[in-house]
Amino acid sequence: MENHTINVPGAQEFARPRTRRDFFKSLAVAGAGATAASMLLSRQASAKTDDVDIANFALTLEYLEADFYAMALDADVLSGDALGVVENLADHEAQHVTALTDLLHSVGATPVEKPTFTFPTDAFSSQASILDLAATFEPVGVGAYLGAAPLISSPDILAAAGSIAGIEGEHVVALNWLLRVVPYANEAFPKAMTLDEVSAAVAPFMGGKMLSTGGPKLSPTEAHRLNQAYRLGKL
Amino acid sequence: MSEVESRTPLGMDREVSRRNFLKTAAWTGATFTAMGIGGFGVAVRRAEAQGEYKTYEGLGDAAILQFAYQLELLEGTFYAEGVKAGLFKDAFLEQIVAIRDHEMAHADAIATTLGQLGADVPATPQFTFPNGTFGNAATFLELAATFEPVGIGAYQGAAPALQSKDILAAAISIHNAECQHRCAINILNLITPPNNLAFEEALPLQKVQEAVKPFGITG
Repeated sequence: MENHTINVPGAQEFARPRTRRDFFKSLAVAGAGATAASMLLSRQASAKTDDVDIANFALTLEYLEADFYAMALDADVLSGDALGVVENLADHEAQHVTALTDLLHSVGATPVEKPTFTFPTDAFSSQASILDLAATFEPVGVGAYLGAAPLISSPDILAAAGSIAGIEGEHVVALNWLLRVVPYANEAFPKAMTLDEVSAAVAPFMGGKMLSTGGPKLSPTEAHRLNQAYRLGKL
Repeated sequence: MSEVESRTPLGMDREVSRRNFLKTAAWTGATFTAMGIGGFGVAVRRAEAQGEYKTYEGLGDAAILQFAYQLELLEGTFYAEGVKAGLFKDAFLEQIVAIRDHEMAHADAIATTLGQLGADVPATPQFTFPNGTFGNAATFLELAATFEPVGIGAYQGAAPALQSKDILAAAISIHNAECQHRCAINILNLITPPNNLAFEEALPLQKVQEAVKPFGITG
């Protein structure tokens, strides 16, 4: 695997902002180009090809979550606390998409295109169905980041991944609260997942395609089986 | 007499406690402003956003874990005292008990890892808490809301400085548990929606040390 050194205009810059407005300010900093970036931060970080693959993998998951929550809001079936939580979920995942996209650009890599996602026909029919599916997505997001973190070489990319991973963990808790799961925060050691486990968990939403490029294509039946197994904690 | 002074499990020296209380009282007010719900200002965050992990580099994995161990004990002790004080019931109590157990499980796991590394497990510090911390649920939860971001910031800041990938895997999992605690404490503080951050924040070592010093962690 080729190991090349690239100027990273501050992965933390992307990991920090709390609001969209802050984020665009960060983008402006990044967009000022290599000269400005090196003046502001004057440091280098190495990004291995592996890191790019991992960031693209994470980006795909964030696309999936962002799409799902945007559609959930469009469905107009949410109200009260659930609406407030999902509005933030949609906003956070969209910010993660932007942050990862920009992080990839900043290391000279090409972000993956957003895949076409498919959701079960009744996924957006009620608040309960939305929350139920959300509660299956979020632990996958946590597991993916926790599984990937030790594989990341660049400390800046690792810092960004950690920052996002923690938010996915918060999402699990917020959904537990809405779903009346007590205690809301109930894991001393949230679990890491392998690439294959994550791929299997999200394959049903990607037309049965495995996430990793060149991976085997699953039949819808097999994809469904894997997803059920995942949901039952049997993967 | 403060709540804490009357509690033998903390092993309090009364004179030490009184002295620390004065420092802590001043510190707590500042902390609620700087690290509470409002968080750091953008300018401050921007200034501190440059490679927090570098402040942990050179410590080595064992020293990072020894510090983390004390943070976990501080948190675990804090939640244990909250449970004992009878401040909560029902779902709130279940959550505080769960967090207490998580923090103690983190401390145990870290102690085991330190043993495997052949490093010393630090003695339990003499923890001190501001007067009235355990007097009512609101005060307790306000302090909890300041503790969790310190733990989050410490793990997130230290993670890229860890040498061992196995220890990193454990640390990033514990970090995630702390983030989950932050959101749970928001729920107990009736903050809606409780998932109110898009990105978690790393803290440089010095900020973490300053934040926990008034509570008795001097390492």
